Amino acid sequence: MRDAVVAGRVARTRPREPGRPQAWSSSRVGGAMVIAAWAGLFWFLFLTGRDDLYLSTRTIWVVPIGAVLLMAAALGRLASARVRTPEPMHAREVWIMGLMVVPVVLVLALPPATLGTFSAGKRAGAVGFAVSVGGAGSGPLTLIDVASAQFSKSGEQALAKRAGEQVEFVGFVTRYPDTPADEFLLTRFIVTCCVADATIAQVRVVNVPPGRFETNDWVEVRGPIYPLGREVIVNASSVEAVSRPDRPYLTP
Amino acid sequence: MADVAATRPVRNATSRTALVVVGLVVLAAVGLRLADPSRVAWMQAFLILLGSLLIVALPFVALGALASALIEVLVPIGTLEKLARLPRPLQLPAAGLAGVAFPICECGSVPVARRLAARGLMPSAAITFMLAAPVLNPVVIASTYVAFRGRTALWTMVGGRFLLGLLVAVAVGWVVGNRTKDELLRPRQDDRHAHHVEFGPPEARWRRFFLHMGNDFLFMGRYLLLGATLAALVQTFLPTSIVLRVAGAPVLDIVVMMGLATVLSLCSESDAFIAASFVQFGPAAQLAFLVSGPMVDLKLGALYAGTFHKRFVWMVVVAVFAATLVGAMWLKVLAG
Repeated sequence: MRDAVVAGRVARTRPREPGRPQAWSSSRVGGAMVIAAWAGLFWFLFLTGRDDLYLSTRTIWVVPIGAVLLMAAALGRLASARVRTPEPMHAREVWIMGLMVVPVVLVLALPPATLGTFSAGKRAGAVGFAVSVGGAGSGPLTLIDVASAQFSKSGEQALAKRAGEQVEFVGFVTRYPDTPADEFLLTRFIVTCCVADATIAQVRVVNVPPGRFETNDWVEVRGPIYPLGREVIVNASSVEAVSRPDRPYLTP
Repeated sequence: MADVAATRPVRNATSRTALVVVGLVVLAAVGLRLADPSRVAWMQAFLILLGSLLIVALPFVALGALASALIEVLVPIGTLEKLARLPRPLQLPAAGLAGVAFPICECGSVPVARRLAARGLMPSAAITFMLAAPVLNPVVIASTYVAFRGRTALWTMVGGRFLLGLLVAVAVGWVVGNRTKDELLRPRQDDRHAHHVEFGPPEARWRRFFLHMGNDFLFMGRYLLLGATLAALVQTFLPTSIVLRVAGAPVLDIVVMMGLATVLSLCSESDAFIAASFVQFGPAAQLAFLVSGPMVDLKLGALYAGTFHKRFVWMVVVAVFAATLVGAMWLKVLAG
């Protein structure tokens, strides 16, 4: 009992107790490995640029912050993992740690991908984004201006004034069962924070060569734009296949 | 010797379990690669949504764990009890306003509040802080200003968010009342470990810092994973357009916006941009979205469930919804 009371002082004067050698704490090492796995994922996303597939340009700064913080946390935990009395580690804890690594593995194993037609169908006409009032008043028209027109009266009026102007839009092909063969919907997701808040900007493209483009193909459409209320039509003068942009989501 | 004998079976079981767990994780990776999720649209969407929710939230959890660990190793026991010396009517507003100084989102405020309560701050004040910080902090107020800039309701939204957020947080703290930390906090295995270590030769401060930071991150991370999985599933399958059908319906529009905030599980530092886009809804319903969302949502529900006792979580959820609904309805009466 007396030893326990003065243990702190003993430890300071005698850093190494001969009878009780230090050992690795499996709980601390296991935890460090889980944190290191997440740190590794953040570094991977940061270095490969795949963070663009999950976050908007507004929030992408969290990735390097997360990478540095988690790497420091993992290294610090590992450096303090040799103790005289290792904490017991139960099987349940190991299962939980394993589960926590699964998302890391899934994100790493998932080929680079973006939301597509399936999600566009679920989000059509619903959640919007930061509406830029009167944003379509000047400069080249963008799909963000189109989305503004579909979500706000002022955006609709601003876009209506520019009917007949030439546009160049990049997006992916979306088709529904009732879409005519010579038309498709050109879709692009707009992300404010992360993909979870994605909403869509969509224009109906007419005068398209039938059968040339499949659903989810990325294309560049050129032609005059005709806003009809909340529906926006582009009469295609050219439609070309393009590769997916480095930043597949637009940020308002 | 008896202790060593008692712990040996646990260690053996853990070694075997660890091998099985590692094997299953590797199998999951190989399985996903072979399955090619791009052929299954819903699976690909679910994985992208789950990944994005975790990637945006976990750095904030890490920041919260960092702040929590700093409080643990730097703030002497009893310092926080000074708040209790304030006149009682001022204690909860003071705790709420303290959130102004913490630019962290809701995921980060949970470990901080837990640590504050564990270190001696009155649980009601810790809860008020936890609910207020993600709504009142300067980053959130600034993002609300930017999102509603140019609208006639700009100051209604910015001021209303601050005031209603503070009022709701104080009201919930008042409901918590004199409950003790043992009535609120679920015991944690990590805490027992930490105390176990402290009873022996004391560890260096830097070692305790990293131990607590890691423990908090791992503890909160597991519940965030659960909440993010639920949110991703809902977002994958729920057509969000159905919520627009109730826009304009009295009271129901506020309830629906609170429900939507719960389902979407957005970060408080960016949710104003989403709220601003719901142009079909009035300022009262949008405000309800902005106030209740950072206090109660799917991912937070899982974090709360891991941190607090079940009955207490329900109490917080009901109190947040009730206080927000009443506040938003008052705003509707006053502002139209």
